[in-house]
Amino acid sequence: MSDATSPHDAASREPSLSRRSFFKGAGVVAAGGLVGEAVHAAARGASLEPVRMEGTVEIELEINGARTKVAVEPRTTLLNTLRNHCAPPLTGAKLVCDRGSCGACTVHLDGAPVYSCMTLAVDAVGRKITTIEGLASPGELTELQSAFCAHDGTMCGFCTPGFVMSISACLENDPSASLDEIQRSCSGNLCRCGTYPQVFEAALDAGRKLRAKGGR
Amino acid sequence: MALDPLRSEDDKPPRPAAKGKRWVRVTKAVNGIDTEVWEEVADEAGGAQWGARESMRLISRETPRVEGPDKVTGRAVFTHDVRLPGMAYACVLRSRVPAAKVTLDLSRARQIPGVLAAIELGDGEVRWLGRPIAAVAATTPEIAEDGVRAILATYEEQPFALTPEQAAAENAPKVNSRGNVRVLSKNTDSREVDQALEASPVRVKGTWKIPVQHHATLETHGAVVDYRGGAEATVYASTQGTFTISPDAAGRLGLRPNQVTAVVEHMGGGFGSKFGMGIEGEAACLLAKELARPVHLMLDRASEFHAAGNRSGGEHQIEIGVGRDGKILAFKARVTRHGGVAQGSGHPLPYIYARDNAVFVEDRCIHTNMDASRAMRGPGHPQASFSMEGAMDECAYAVGMDLLEFRRINLPDAKRALYMRQLERCAELIGWRTHPHTRAPDLSDAEVKVGIGFAIARWGGGGNGQCKVEVRIAQDGSVEVLSGTQDLGTGTRTYCASIVAEELGLELAAVRARIGRSTFGSANASGGSTTSASLAPSVKHAAHNARLALFEKVAPALGATASELEVAPGEIRVAGSASRRIAWKDACAVLGPAGLSAQGEWQAHLAGNDIGGAQAAKVSVDTLTGEVKVLEMVAVQDCGLVLNRLAAVSQLQGGMVQSLSYGLFEERVVDPDLGLFLNANFEDYKIAGAQDIPAMKALFEDDPRGVIGMSEAAIIPGHSAIANAIHNACGVRLREMPLTADKILMGLEALKRG
Ligand code: FES
Ligand code: FES
Repeated sequence: MSDATSPHDAASREPSLSRRSFFKGAGVVAAGGLVGEAVHAAARGASLEPVRMEGTVEIELEINGARTKVAVEPRTTLLNTLRNHCAPPLTGAKLVCDRGSCGACTVHLDGAPVYSCMTLAVDAVGRKITTIEGLASPGELTELQSAFCAHDGTMCGFCTPGFVMSISACLENDPSASLDEIQRSCSGNLCRCGTYPQVFEAALDAGRKLRAKGGR
Repeated sequence: MALDPLRSEDDKPPRPAAKGKRWVRVTKAVNGIDTEVWEEVADEAGGAQWGARESMRLISRETPRVEGPDKVTGRAVFTHDVRLPGMAYACVLRSRVPAAKVTLDLSRARQIPGVLAAIELGDGEVRWLGRPIAAVAATTPEIAEDGVRAILATYEEQPFALTPEQAAAENAPKVNSRGNVRVLSKNTDSREVDQALEASPVRVKGTWKIPVQHHATLETHGAVVDYRGGAEATVYASTQGTFTISPDAAGRLGLRPNQVTAVVEHMGGGFGSKFGMGIEGEAACLLAKELARPVHLMLDRASEFHAAGNRSGGEHQIEIGVGRDGKILAFKARVTRHGGVAQGSGHPLPYIYARDNAVFVEDRCIHTNMDASRAMRGPGHPQASFSMEGAMDECAYAVGMDLLEFRRINLPDAKRALYMRQLERCAELIGWRTHPHTRAPDLSDAEVKVGIGFAIARWGGGGNGQCKVEVRIAQDGSVEVLSGTQDLGTGTRTYCASIVAEELGLELAAVRARIGRSTFGSANASGGSTTSASLAPSVKHAAHNARLALFEKVAPALGATASELEVAPGEIRVAGSASRRIAWKDACAVLGPAGLSAQGEWQAHLAGNDIGGAQAAKVSVDTLTGEVKVLEMVAVQDCGLVLNRLAAVSQLQGGMVQSLSYGLFEERVVDPDLGLFLNANFEDYKIAGAQDIPAMKALFEDDPRGVIGMSEAAIIPGHSAIANAIHNACGVRLREMPLTADKILMGLEALKRG
């Protein structure tokens, strides 16, 4: 899984925010005082300097093609923003480990898979966020999603959105991805039910279908 | 062993059967541990029948699960995902020490803007590491965490014992008032077995060590309690038992159980750890009661590791005496279970083999200041399998026999044919007959070596009469099947719909399965693989009754009697007539606005009991690095009528993956001096991932019995087969899991030194 959320990456694209200053902000909160300053305007300014944010900030995110305004603390992860601050809530991405070790929270940022628990919502401003809910057109399934159903790539299903997001980014890049490449694309995802063999079959099958259709 | 279901064969029914009734032996899960009891059932083998397998359309076929589209699009709502107006998010504070008296000052937490409530949990006494001692509810999870961090906890620390070694030491702090080391078995006289061992020409002896494993369900434990004051509440819970929730929740909310509805729409894994509300669910209730608003409390990952159960570890000291003909003459073992403050599931040794020889087993447990173990998929069996199958291979090599032949000789007579058929099939699939090392491990100096290992399982998997199922047919032709049961990812929802659709001649999509709600008919908790064998017969019965009731109503319209009718795809017709037929919709139109409702209960003759199962693994061992790669795993499993071939294969392969993970990676690690759980996260507690998965083949043997649950059998033998394959590959016998490279390298070193 590529980690598009490192401060360096983010800084090269967008004015970014030092994570340390957020956690400092969190420290202030923990000590019992909230500084209610909305400073998101600074975040969108042209400066590449770190920006200090405190309290609740209002940001606009582009989620599944729609612009959505949310009010979150700077320390709020993209995952918690999707799940707790959007209306309707986008709970397809799951919170499992909250520290980048299971992949259940995977979403796409500008088409690349990232752990949304390791991405701050304020860092996702100006980027295209795609969640499992927005992967296919409403009422439809992508080839990969259909293949997951047909090959039983889901048991309890808690890990499933994460696997679908990781593998669909892989197939998007290369519909003829080999078994090895597919395994690598979801090596950052965990499934406790052990659906892996069926997930691989689904991915290979979806790849075949995508190739037959010529591309997507 | 009290928990061994196959050991109670000679029990008699409590009294003679009443008229028209008979006694059957059924499996009931008590907290996930299956126990066998007698149950009186109606003595009629007529009525609902599964019918000919060949003519089935949906049952016993590869039927994609009905909730698949919801799960692949993120629409499926798990307990974690429930969002309600005004809902508060809560989290817990864990005790950072294993044993202490704790006093808490919650005032600083309560001062934080956004914190709504803070409560103490428990009575101030901590007896195990990580016990939740307080909970905070706030407007966001981030603020709830701030609240937890702001709590001032003062610990009056007490001495503790985190490891069995510490707990068994002289002057160890008392973990359990009855003593830290407790002997559980009654028989203490081993003289006869000692003599038989003495007289055996070949003896194999060893100590096996089994780490504590964690369920590691991806959805953590917890609940969303929707209580807004008044006399009603709805509790969304991630549970294996819809009906285990309301009584506990009601107690904490000050309501009656029938004022609390439990809901389990989808749940993200349980594996034996999710029965009842738990401390976390009770905390959610207390907070909701205080706030009169909905509360969401799902454990974070570290709390899940500390406080949501585990599979007991243990130590098995085993000694086996074997004759030159390969017959086991005597078996002696001392089993020590490590279940934290609990005693742990029984490890049923001797496992399957050598049961009718001279056998002596001493069963003990050692208590430590760690979270209580809980049932985990196949409680006790994977542990027993590990040492038993390892010892079997050691014995076979010691007498120079083919591993399968040695097993054949020592299987119980009644099971020999079953297991040998399954083992032979595995052997064929994995290439045993062409493998160069079937009587001795490969001791050549090849750098990378390949080995094969085998192991078997047994389980009850029978059903019981706790389910009440309703089938509703509406005037517009729509059909629903209702049961309070829960779907753990096993495919429960799908077979509920497919059994009814099959019976009524409908497409799968025409039947809606509504489950996971305590206002629907009762159902057993999913433990001991008892769900399918209990529920599927009850669904079948309800569907059968619905069909007969519909025939009664429709018969006049066809100018026939009900007994002359049959279903055909999408219609009802007079049997043998091409013209006297009525389309499904038109038939249902005669029902009137009330529609039709039929009930079903358990039919013993539609269920079965008692399964085996064999698995084999092929591994490569890199003798330079000690790295093990599982190349291939195969399984052959009996389970009566297979309800859904797609879901059953997933279930079996899933079990194999979990046992691979158990064998190669999983182990709780504690610091005994500092009193810390060192790997309570998914970086340091590793479970199998995509790149660890071998080629897999999972086959079912069809047999004429009714439905039998097989999920537990699936997880029992895999790691044992892998350990045996490692030995077969390079001669290193690992008697301690996980089967890691360092142990293999040390083993190779020891071999070299002779
Ligand atoms: S929840 Fe984000 S990686 Fe696990
Ligand atoms: S399907 Fe249950 S964790 Fe993957």
